[in-house]
Amino acid sequence: MALAADVVRAEPVMGTVVSFHVFAGRCRRDKTEAAVDEACRELHRLEAIFSTWVADSPMSRLRAGRIGLDQLPPEIPAVLDLCRRAKDLSGGWFDPWAMPGGVDPTGLVKGWAVEQAIGILREAGVGAALANGGGDIALFGHPPDAPNWRVGVRHPWRSNAFACVLEVSSAIATSGPYERGLHLIDPHDGSRAQRSASATVIGPSLALADALATAVAVGAREALRVISGLEGYGAYWIGPDGSEEATSGFNRALHRAG
Amino acid sequence: MPPSKLNRAGVAAVSSVAGFAFVLLAHTAGHRTPTAPGQSMSGPAAATAPPSQGQASPGPAATTTTPATGAPAAGGLASAVGQNEQYGYGVLSVKVTVSGRRIVDVSVATLQTAEQYSQSLAQQVIPMLRHEVLSAQTTQVYAVSGATYTSEAYLYSAQSALDKLHV
Repeated sequence: MALAADVVRAEPVMGTVVSFHVFAGRCRRDKTEAAVDEACRELHRLEAIFSTWVADSPMSRLRAGRIGLDQLPPEIPAVLDLCRRAKDLSGGWFDPWAMPGGVDPTGLVKGWAVEQAIGILREAGVGAALANGGGDIALFGHPPDAPNWRVGVRHPWRSNAFACVLEVSSAIATSGPYERGLHLIDPHDGSRAQRSASATVIGPSLALADALATAVAVGAREALRVISGLEGYGAYWIGPDGSEEATSGFNRALHRAG
Repeated sequence: MPPSKLNRAGVAAVSSVAGFAFVLLAHTAGHRTPTAPGQSMSGPAAATAPPSQGQASPGPAATTTTPATGAPAAGGLASAVGQNEQYGYGVLSVKVTVSGRRIVDVSVATLQTAEQYSQSLAQQVIPMLRHEVLSAQTTQVYAVSGATYTSEAYLYSAQSALDKLHV
């Protein structure tokens, strides 16, 4: 049994649940709890800015052309800059500007928001923390009894089994059709992407890992080849027929059983 | 609804959060508490199931390991071949090798298929099966990375079980 964290919290937000596991380290218990409270408040604040489900959120108004650039909260241009970067890094397989209904940063913004939340815990001085935003995970430090946080990648056809287990040092994101159906759009032709059962990306930034996992889910082996050339990132792809492929960066993070 | 997804996938062994928690505890407790070889193998009876209905692509159907009861000598290697299982493209049985109480390998024992395609498919599926059994038995994780679940689906997720276990 993995050592129980000092503070565990499951916060419903952004249409999913964000789970926190926090080891206080030298931080006082009440201060650690307060930092988790603040991280949760930040997630709700960011949801209010970026939700495309809420008609009058700043993001929705931008998509509808009903907000001036000077009225935009600074978080929106920051996220769109990251989206541009992710589009370049993914060779165009992640492209928020090719989505129906106007620019849609959904594939990156949840990972980015969870990264902001984990940043609050880091600044508060807690020893180690992990935040899992519905399957996309940002973390720092490590549990007191282990050299790394250990994370399972969900098996695409069994909700209670792992396809593999990894030692993660910063971020991991997974995309696939098994939770919400074929929801991803191929930016090249607007069709619903169906070339992958599961796509996982690890790397230093959860915002980028989230976007790149979306890219691999859409572009399958072609996108995997693009990611394999990125310093610091690794990717793991499972096809609809159960075939698998991983980049060398991903294989290095695999936990060896036994 | 994940539970019905599980039923469609034909996985009978573990279909609830409570079930997952049990398997997780059974696996991790296995390191410290002596258990009979048959018991330690009963948890990760692995199945690679087909994609849920509604997906366009064909997928591998259930391949189940059903370890036989032959108990290995303490510390020694022993293996058992499970019963033949229909897996959509043919009939397959899986061989499980244990050392002491720990599963050390999973491989295809027999495979009868009509098509070349199925042969290559089975070769591809088994590496996943191997990862799954070995990792589920011997590792302790804090989190599960996967496609984004809804707040309703969270209740049935492995992450939800981990969050409860650690409170």
